[in-house]
Order: sequence, then structure tokens, then C-alpha cells
Amino acid sequence: MSIEVKNLIKSFEDKVVINDISFNVNDGEVLAIVGFSGSGKSTVLKLISGLIPYDNGEIITSEGDIAMVFQYSALFDSLNVFENISFALRERKDLRKLYTEEQLHEIVAQKLELVGLQGIENKYPSELSGGMQKRVSFARAIVTKPNTILYDEPTAGLDPMSSTLIEDYIVSLKHEINAASIVVTHQMSTITRTADRVIMLYDGKIVFEGTPDELLRQDTPYTKQFVTASLEGPMQMKA
Amino acid sequence: MVTFAQYLRRSATYKVFSAIVSDMVVFMSTMGQIAQMGLRMLKRIMIDGIQFKELFVQCERFGISSLPITLSIVGMTSIIVSSQVANEMVKQGGSGLIGMLMTILTVREVGVIMSGFAITSMIGSSLASELATMRVTEQVDAIDVLGVDSVGYLFTPRVLSGILMMPVIVIIASVFGIILGGVASNIFSGLSYRAYFTSVWLGLFMKDLWVCLAKAAVFGGTIALISCTCGYFAKGGAKGVGLATTKAVVWSFISIVIWDMIFAMLFFF
Repeated sequence: MSIEVKNLIKSFEDKVVINDISFNVNDGEVLAIVGFSGSGKSTVLKLISGLIPYDNGEIITSEGDIAMVFQYSALFDSLNVFENISFALRERKDLRKLYTEEQLHEIVAQKLELVGLQGIENKYPSELSGGMQKRVSFARAIVTKPNTILYDEPTAGLDPMSSTLIEDYIVSLKHEINAASIVVTHQMSTITRTADRVIMLYDGKIVFEGTPDELLRQDTPYTKQFVTASLEGPMQMKA
Repeated sequence: MVTFAQYLRRSATYKVFSAIVSDMVVFMSTMGQIAQMGLRMLKRIMIDGIQFKELFVQCERFGISSLPITLSIVGMTSIIVSSQVANEMVKQGGSGLIGMLMTILTVREVGVIMSGFAITSMIGSSLASELATMRVTEQVDAIDVLGVDSVGYLFTPRVLSGILMMPVIVIIASVFGIILGGVASNIFSGLSYRAYFTSVWLGLFMKDLWVCLAKAAVFGGTIALISCTCGYFAKGGAKGVGLATTKAVVWSFISIVIWDMIFAMLFFF
């Protein structure tokens, strides 16, 4: 079991954002977390990655690195692509003496090839398009060979072709490094093309758990409202 | 019928007092965050050591890029002070002491405090906005997720560069200020360069120099630490970046004055 979340609770001041949720993700599996804005999807990723502490419950991940692909790429804008991708290998105490400069260039070139962006090592993030930035952030995330990958809205704001490209990378990474992956998304294409299982959050709770096909079948009021993007249903948009 | 409590709450005195108390609370909590970040940084230095490449980059930024503005501010302040003082001193027959007076003033206060203000405006604001932007664009989160301690990576080279470079800047700016003081005395009061620079040496004390260097290092470290902390804890978007920068500049100015007072009480009373 690569990620196991048990009875997780998180509040911000008086507001309970995650209210006693449990789920698991196996190695080589992609779990999509869906739900309307403000349902607590990104908070789950931040809790799993350790960026924010949780109030109660348990998160168990298998040993190894956790990588995260951020919604807006979060590339370091003062560093070029080579420095961005090799950042962890150069700065982490346990990794910084393992590689020579030549090996670092080789590793970065390999990762860039994997995301179809050869020869852009010297470019800065501001010189890249949104889709390219996202692909560089993929390369940066997998450079430490993580066994858990978290994607926060990986296709948000991208054109349909770039979205398809990113979705293909998520699937190919799943096969190549056998990582347990969680994808937070709103986009139906991302859910159907990448996920093995889906959970839907509403008001900090899991209101649906199943396969993408089961989600599309709209058997419950929640899945029906989500798939049809209807304003009528059990889920109300919060002001 | 307005009760006394309601009347009190509406009064200007109450509003001013509550604003002061609320500012004090914010100040104390910011100081707490700064101390916490300082300790976390020291812990990271003990565990991870210092990344000298990044330290040199920050030293260059702290020292070289801030020098023109610092020289301008210290130089102009020296011109203002000497043009005010030299005329009176000449009238009172104290022309032989103008160089000495300018040296004491510059080494003890003008050089270091004006450099502190210049560095705060130029480097402090830039550090705060840089880190705040990194925070709101999730770059700080990305550093942590990649397994690198963001405080160690961001704070250590910036704060150390402040401690190392500020004394260098203050020495250069003070020498520049003393020289410009002589030029201004010559232009405004007709004092000869020989008379001015002969008396400069009379105002140069070893104790003043050591205190000046120590004060500069403390100011440099404080400005960098406060600015980095304010940026690191920024929230929200562009507005959060602006607020963090303002906070960094205001707290740095206040801290410089408080440190200056502490140094004055410790060494010159």
C-alpha cells in the first residue's frame, strides 16, 4: 500500500475543511479526487505532502520520496530549466554529493526527453509557455524517482492538446515508475483518461468512491450533479 | 442613552489606544516569528552547513547593487550636516575641530544608520517581495516538497550576506561621507582641506570603529532576517506581497532604531 489515509481531519480556525475521510492508493494506481471548488481537494494533497499539519487521523506512505506537480507549475523563476530540474539533486543533503555536474546534465536531459522538451536547459520559466512549464515541473517532480506523485489540477488552464499531452504523461509515469498517484482535477477528460479510481469530496467528506465509469453512469445525485455540472442537486456552491 | 462604555469606545483616545495595542500585538507576534525563523536557520546551518555559491550570489546582491544608493544617501547627509555645522564652528573659532566632529558623527551614527535605512529600502524590500512572491506562487512549497528545507535554503545565504556585507558597505559609505563633509566644508565655509583632514584623525577612535562594525553586522543581519520572515509568511496574492514588503520595511526601520539605542546605551553612556 503506497498511500493510506485514515480518518483524516483538518480545520482552519473554526471551519472543518477535511472531515474524517479515509482512502488508499496502491502502487501503480492513479486516484482522482474530484469535487467543486472549496471542497478540500488541494488541502488533501497538502496534508499528504506534509506542507500543512493535520489535526487528527493518520497518513501512511511507503518509504521514499513524495513529489508534487503544482497547479501553476511553481517553477523557480530565478533559476533556469536545468537548475529547476536538478534542484533537489543539488540542494538536498542526502543527494548533493552523489552526482557530478556531468551526470546532472545527463539526468536532466533524460527527464526533458521524457516530457518531450529536449534542449531547453538554459531557458528560464518566463520564456516557456504554460504547457511547457507544466511539463518541466513534471520533469522536476520525477527527478528523485518518487514512489508517490501528487498532481494538483495538472491540466487546469491548458489548451486541449496540452491537456492530452499532460494526461498521457501521467499515464506513462504510472507505468514507468509504478508510483502511487493522486490527481486533483475538475476536468472530465483528465478523470477518464488517467484515473483508475475516483473519489468525490463535498464539504470535506467523501460522497462518492468508484471507477470513472461508475462516475459517468451518474447513479447517485452527487455524481449526476457533478457530471452534468448542474446547479440543482445536493451540492451547493458556497459563497 | 449612551452608556459610559459606549462613549469611551467612540472616543478618539480609545481608538488611538486600541490601535497602539493592536500594533504592539502585531509587533510582538512578528518578533516571535522572526526569532523562530532565526533559530530554525541556525539549526539548518548546524545540520546542512553553508552553501557558499548561493552565499556569494547574495553577497554580490547585498553589497554591490546597494552601494550607489547607500553612498548617495550617506554622502548627501554628510553634506547637509557639514554645511549646517561648519559655518557655526568657523564663526566660533572651532574650525580646527570640524573634521573631528564629522568623523565622530559619521562613524558613530550617520554612516551606519543612514546605510541601514538605505539597505532596508533597497535590499530589505527586495528580499521581502522576492520571498513573498515565491510564497504566493507556491515556489516555497515546491522547495519543501522537493525535500529541501526552505528556511535553510532561502534564509541562510541572505541573512549571512547581510551580516558580512553590511560592515563593508558602512566602511565605504562612512569614508565617502567624511570626504564629502570636507568638500562641503570647503565650499560652504571656506575651510581648507588640510585643516579638515588633519582634524579627521582626532575623531577616529578604535572603540568607535569596533562598535560601528558590530552595529553594522547586527543591522545587516536584522534587516535580512526581518525581510525574509515577512516575505516567507506572506499570504494572498499581489496584495499580500505588498503588505509583506511594507511590513518588512517598517519593522526593519523600527528595529534599526531600537538596536541603535541599545548600542548607544551599552557603549556610549
